[in-house]
Amino acid sequence: MGALLKSEWRKLIYARAHWGLLIGAILVAGLGTAVSPVILDNPDSGFGLGLEQTQSVDAVYANAISGYFFAIIIGIMLMSGEFRHGTAVATFLTAPKRGTVLATKLAIAAIGGMLVMVIATAAGLTAGWIALSFFPDAASPTNEVFINTLLAAVVSGAILGIVGVALGTLVRNQMLAITGALIYLFVIDPILLALAPDAGKYLPVGLITAMLALDIDAPEFGIDTSAYLPPLTATLVLLGYGAVFATLAIATSLRRDIE
Amino acid sequence: MAAIAISGLVKTYGKQNAVDNLTANITKGRITGFLGPNGAGKSTTLRCLVGLSAPTSGTALIYDKPYRDLDNPLSKVGTVLDSRGFHSALTGKQNLRVVAAAAGIPDSRVDEVLEMVELKDAAGKRMKIYSLGMKQRLALAGAILGDPEILILDEPANGLDPAGIAWLRKFLRRLAEGGRTILVSSHQLAEMQNTVDDVIIINKGKLIASGSMKEVIGDGSLEDAFLALTGGEL
Repeated sequence: MGALLKSEWRKLIYARAHWGLLIGAILVAGLGTAVSPVILDNPDSGFGLGLEQTQSVDAVYANAISGYFFAIIIGIMLMSGEFRHGTAVATFLTAPKRGTVLATKLAIAAIGGMLVMVIATAAGLTAGWIALSFFPDAASPTNEVFINTLLAAVVSGAILGIVGVALGTLVRNQMLAITGALIYLFVIDPILLALAPDAGKYLPVGLITAMLALDIDAPEFGIDTSAYLPPLTATLVLLGYGAVFATLAIATSLRRDIE
Repeated sequence: MAAIAISGLVKTYGKQNAVDNLTANITKGRITGFLGPNGAGKSTTLRCLVGLSAPTSGTALIYDKPYRDLDNPLSKVGTVLDSRGFHSALTGKQNLRVVAAAAGIPDSRVDEVLEMVELKDAAGKRMKIYSLGMKQRLALAGAILGDPEILILDEPANGLDPAGIAWLRKFLRRLAEGGRTILVSSHQLAEMQNTVDDVIIINKGKLIASGSMKEVIGDGSLEDAFLALTGGEL
């Protein structure tokens, strides 16, 4: 297992594309957080919040987690890349016990997703702090927002990495898997969250938002965080997603031929 | 003693039998040519042998075990299935270091095998700029990484120019001199006649001939025997 972990770790750090994803996550988290004070400070934004309110400043910092989708892409690339480049052949010739290979890959994807999220979120928090320094009337954030955001980054990064590997196992076409994941996260999930909040709060985006423990009520944007699950419950449900997808990945990879 | 034993192997895709009740033994310490027209089922058989495809029925064993039950398989069997198998965005050396790590092989062995396949100078270059011949050499380097007793090579001469084929011939002879068991599929019949000890010929998934080279070709050439046995398909 240790040898396989070393091999999978090398796959993660040798591929330039993975470093590109880290840079992308840092840029998205940094820019997303840095522009938030400008939007919230604009009285025409319609949020009904001003930077003089603590919940508004907390919402700025919570944007630091907005690069979460890069964690799922890393997981997808780690797995479907094996089929795209044909490296699955070498991988399973070296370690023919597929369950062990998948378990190792899930572990490395969890670590990779977590590292990307923690680094990007830290960059986002720093960018938010710099941006808010240009608004002297901005309220101070709560201490909890930093802890909750970093915790959400760790948990969501690890789980989305695992979900990515599972998607890459189920949908071996890399572009299809990435496109499908992004369409789900940016279109389908938010729509479900807005149209059916009772069900939507159990979906990934709603769960990640719930983990931030924010207090925002902006009905014109369909956001009312009081309707979300408590942070601990959201974390457990997200972990459940990880377990289900990990089981699916192992079950499917054990059966199919490797081309 | 049979190093590899294939018994009643059947592999079906939909309604078509890619491999149809194939039984064959590969003797330890000999070079065996695995021949057949395109689509005869050679690659499918080799994939079943190394556990990448699940047989519909029958068995394909290496030292009496399925490939997946071998301890540290890379130290027992080296495999080249096609020139893919390596990540095009990684260097040749990085690709081999990934495999070496998984098999618990020290990185120093990567440098050794790169030198053996004469790729030392290109080791730091990304695979996307490798020629087909260089990719084949890297695949061979991967196959010998664990210094295995058995080599399974599927069309290793594919895409090689005459100089590459000459290099491959010398390389295989050097490996065979060490007493390795080599199972090699190829369309280079003249080349095979001069290189292999035993021959297995299949057509449409079925075994049509097997034995020593002399037993199979008699006083003729391998090409004549092959064309006669397979009905002229090549």
